[in-house]
Amino acid sequence: MKLIKDGKRIDGREFDELRPIKIEAGVLKRADGSCYVEWGKNKVIAAVYGPRECLPKHTQDSYKAKLTYRYNMAPFSVDDRKRPGPDRRSVEISKVSREAFERVLFLEYFPRTAINVFVEVLQADAGTRCAALTAASVALADAGIPMRDLIVACAAGKVEDEMVLDLCQEEDNYGQGDLPVAISPRTGQIHLMQLDGIFSEEEFKKALDFAVKGCLQVHELQKKALKEKYENIGEVYGNE
Amino acid sequence: MVKFMEMSDIVWEVKKDSIKHLIQSGKRSDGRDLEEYRKIEFMEEYVPKAEGSCLVKLGSTQVLVGVKMNVGEPYPDSPDKGNLSTSCELVPLASPDFSFGPPDEESIEIARVVDRGLRESKMIDFEKLCIKEGEEVWTVMVDIHVLDHDGNLIDAASIAAVKALLNARMPKYEDGKVVYKEKAEKLPVSEKPVSSSFAKINGMNILDPALEEEKVMDSKFTIVTIGSGDICAIQKAGSGSYKREEIEKMIDTAIKKGKEIRKMF
Amino acid sequence: MKEIVVPGEKVDNKVESYVFKDGDSLYSMIFGVLDKRDEYGRIVPLNGKYFSQIDDYVVGVITEVKFGGYVVDVNSPYDAFLASRRKYDRGDVIFAKVANVNEVRSVSLADDQKLFEGELMEVSPVKVARVIGKKNSMLMLIKEKTKTDIYVGRNGRIWLRGGDIAKARKTILKIEREAHTDGLTDRITEFLNR
Repeated sequence: MKLIKDGKRIDGREFDELRPIKIEAGVLKRADGSCYVEWGKNKVIAAVYGPRECLPKHTQDSYKAKLTYRYNMAPFSVDDRKRPGPDRRSVEISKVSREAFERVLFLEYFPRTAINVFVEVLQADAGTRCAALTAASVALADAGIPMRDLIVACAAGKVEDEMVLDLCQEEDNYGQGDLPVAISPRTGQIHLMQLDGIFSEEEFKKALDFAVKGCLQVHELQKKALKEKYENIGEVYGNE
Repeated sequence: MVKFMEMSDIVWEVKKDSIKHLIQSGKRSDGRDLEEYRKIEFMEEYVPKAEGSCLVKLGSTQVLVGVKMNVGEPYPDSPDKGNLSTSCELVPLASPDFSFGPPDEESIEIARVVDRGLRESKMIDFEKLCIKEGEEVWTVMVDIHVLDHDGNLIDAASIAAVKALLNARMPKYEDGKVVYKEKAEKLPVSEKPVSSSFAKINGMNILDPALEEEKVMDSKFTIVTIGSGDICAIQKAGSGSYKREEIEKMIDTAIKKGKEIRKMF
Repeated sequence: MKEIVVPGEKVDNKVESYVFKDGDSLYSMIFGVLDKRDEYGRIVPLNGKYFSQIDDYVVGVITEVKFGGYVVDVNSPYDAFLASRRKYDRGDVIFAKVANVNEVRSVSLADDQKLFEGELMEVSPVKVARVIGKKNSMLMLIKEKTKTDIYVGRNGRIWLRGGDIAKARKTILKIEREAHTDGLTDRITEFLNR
């Protein structure tokens, strides 16, 4: 399978082009904050509950809120149906994602409570952890949780010796490397990074450049989603 | 297993009386009649990669059902028939009262009641799912993924499951491998079962309970009907009890309302 | 002049509330509305839980009877404690003042009174101020037109008794939905007069 042909990728994109992305804030009734993201063929939904009482009591932290992050894939989200429940991959993603947020949220304002983030992947097509984290960020803001920034994630990769932005499923399956990154757009600090594959130092730098640029573009969409939600709130009057 | 809580049970107790009084006067807090469903919206093929799928909004309740298929061995007592399995995840995203961990009795009950409706209605022609008798048959896996719990998950899940099966396309099966990227013909389905659930509050049975009504109900009664007006599944849940006439009246309503819902399919 | 801000967004150095400093600049902590009506801007959150402030009046529900007092649910991640001579049972609804909040956010209540025979409802705590209105103007308007007895807690809980409760409830929910819009008072007056 040829992944790159005539300077274009298998899905027709340029090397530095993102897949189409749609972000919507406040999509669930029960959750304190929520966000739905379509990223290429990925469909993820994030929900936040909290700050709320942290139970069981013995797990409470007297100095700050306890943050949990649970990334989960629906059984029908992948080609070969996935058995419900956490697998090792989900546990790892949950951990590094939670760690990305830990210093970003003002957890110290809410001692003894819990802030729980849940992300469900409804349809997967490579880059789910980045779509999930991006959605979680917006959901946390939607819930009114104070944060130092809206962090955002995006991946770059290596495909047939070329660095490309935002791998799709085929590129992830048959490519040479994958680099998901989450940054704080305001400071440029990196809060999540993983790499698998083979990259030279030069290639790594180029891929990281792509990923950061991608992150900044997606960040604009995060802001837009939140601001649009407000516009909808403001338009309700007159319908009684 | 961690248990989360939103409004404590005691606060619901405080609200119980006002909800009950309202029902007594034949009204519901959202203005509905006692035998009226909330607004139903379908988003079919919500997960285009899956064999079939449908997101259903029943009022504010949102349930997503995905249908996946795989090839495997038939059960020994039905060598010429395909299989159906139904499962339900009450993911913590959907409600502050849901926690994570192995399926609890609530999610298992929802899965089994929906399954009963699909199976007993003979909606799927299992014989047509046979590839090689005694060796290879299709298994249909229905997964209920609750996204937002505002009451009556069973009816929402059942409607979504039926819709998802109605639009499902079977993958290709070539040289002993399932080719998911290529979908062939539609799943062989006929019947369209409809689930109708009633919450018993202050002696009255109200259709399609919203969350606050479920929180104060004494018990719940679910009836699944098919096009002919026959009943193919029933489940009584909760600790309340019923007079025979009540059940017969609910069955009448379920058959009538079932026909209306079926038109939307 | 109103503007929507998101966490991490840079704001003027004269903005108070919900901001943090990084270097020489101020940034918003939350998703909220930046109101630049006077010399100093203020950020008002668009969502969030209730956190007890001293002198707030709240509508609470007694959840536990303890030796020396009561544990009260005040619709907050932090429960409150009420030491009171009055006798209450589990499930009683009270109106009380937040007397103290300590470093670990434990809350104590005082000045309590029982609320009898009414209905409980909740609105988002960030919208409660609109339900009360400037100098109680909105609340008085609702009470006058519906003849309903209304106790509004800063914690988003509201107790209603008597009068046209259904109308009072609908009005309050309407205010909650349209809390951040202009011309609300006029629309509510018109709604109540229908």
